[in-house]
Amino acid sequence: MRIFFLVLMGVLLATIGLMLQRVFQGPTIFDRMNGLGVITADTILLIVLFGFLDNQPGMYVDLAMAYAMMGCLGSVVLAKYLGGKKL
Amino acid sequence: MESVRDKRVVGSPAVHLLSMAVLMFGFWMLLSGNTEPKFLTYGVLTSIIAAWVSYPLLLIPNGDDTKRYFVFGVNPVKLLAYFVWLLWQLVLANVDVIRATVRPEIEIDPCVVRFRYQTDNPMAKVVLANSITLTPGTVTMNVTEDGVYEVHALTVGAAEGLRGGDMQKKVAWLYGESYDFELLEGKD
Amino acid sequence: MIASVPVQEIIAALLMGLGLIFLVGSMIGMLRLPDFYSRVHASGNSETLGTLLVFLGLAVYNGVSITSAKLLIIMMFVFIGNPIGSHILTKAAYKTGHPVWTKNRLPNEVLPDAEIKGGEADADLHS
Repeated sequence: MRIFFLVLMGVLLATIGLMLQRVFQGPTIFDRMNGLGVITADTILLIVLFGFLDNQPGMYVDLAMAYAMMGCLGSVVLAKYLGGKKL
Repeated sequence: MESVRDKRVVGSPAVHLLSMAVLMFGFWMLLSGNTEPKFLTYGVLTSIIAAWVSYPLLLIPNGDDTKRYFVFGVNPVKLLAYFVWLLWQLVLANVDVIRATVRPEIEIDPCVVRFRYQTDNPMAKVVLANSITLTPGTVTMNVTEDGVYEVHALTVGAAEGLRGGDMQKKVAWLYGESYDFELLEGKD
Repeated sequence: MIASVPVQEIIAALLMGLGLIFLVGSMIGMLRLPDFYSRVHASGNSETLGTLLVFLGLAVYNGVSITSAKLLIIMMFVFIGNPIGSHILTKAAYKTGHPVWTKNRLPNEVLPDAEIKGGEADADLHS
């Protein structure tokens, strides 16, 4: 099961790397925001998986919960800012 | 606290307050995981005060402010049934979108679907827009005040499913509203 | 060999494997699809289901405990928060006039246009 977790973490890290490429290259500002959103979602998973590898999931789950709340709020606030007065 | 005696509120404020307090106490227990009497007392007091203070914020007026709907005022059994149905739709549509994306030749045909769907309860609007966005292949782009939805559909199948009005019917059933759905054909 | 592995772990591994497929699918979509609106489909939605399935698998693996309940609560947050994020992003793009890519226009024709529109959105920040 540990190996499975490690494989999952590897895939998530690869996703984050590719999304960073999208963030830096992405033609419009909205593409960059979208990439950041995906990175947020993946990071939540990564934190929880790391907790399971570390054999103390209780603590890391709390961190992930705080991160999930902040991530949702952050993307909404930034998109409001981008939309300006039209939104 | 005049909102408790407000005649425009749909449903009973006492039931709303009680259900909110119970929900909040459940969340408190989940976060603390501590069953000593001292912490239980703190939890009960905090959840009751929080429910009392935040209740007026969770009452949403309808279009002409003749009624006020409680945000979580929905039948839990119906909500659970809707949730299960939505999860199933989510899996089906997801497989569809991934199949269209992973092919060597991408099989997408994006278009914008417009329809009007009027409800008295603003929460029905929110739930419908959120469900449409949650289902892969369709993303709600804009919802206007008078209930015109502009939805971006990725594949032909997703657009057809939206035009069929299946999800709209389910949301109308969930909130006990009349089914008022009309397809708008406009500029792309 | 298989009998030595508990049933719980097999179910958890199956759920997480399914989630992994959806996560990889969303990644491929994110890289291949032609314009912003279609990429939102890949990121916002397949990502949600993948995350959901992996969390479900972890909860099954962990058994009945307070940590599993917290995992389910995080699942709820992702389930509600992810569509809100992608919707508000699409709304911002739509309101600032980002063009919708359709089949009869080639992506090469649209992209420079999109770049200009993105620039306008940037300019809007300072007005």
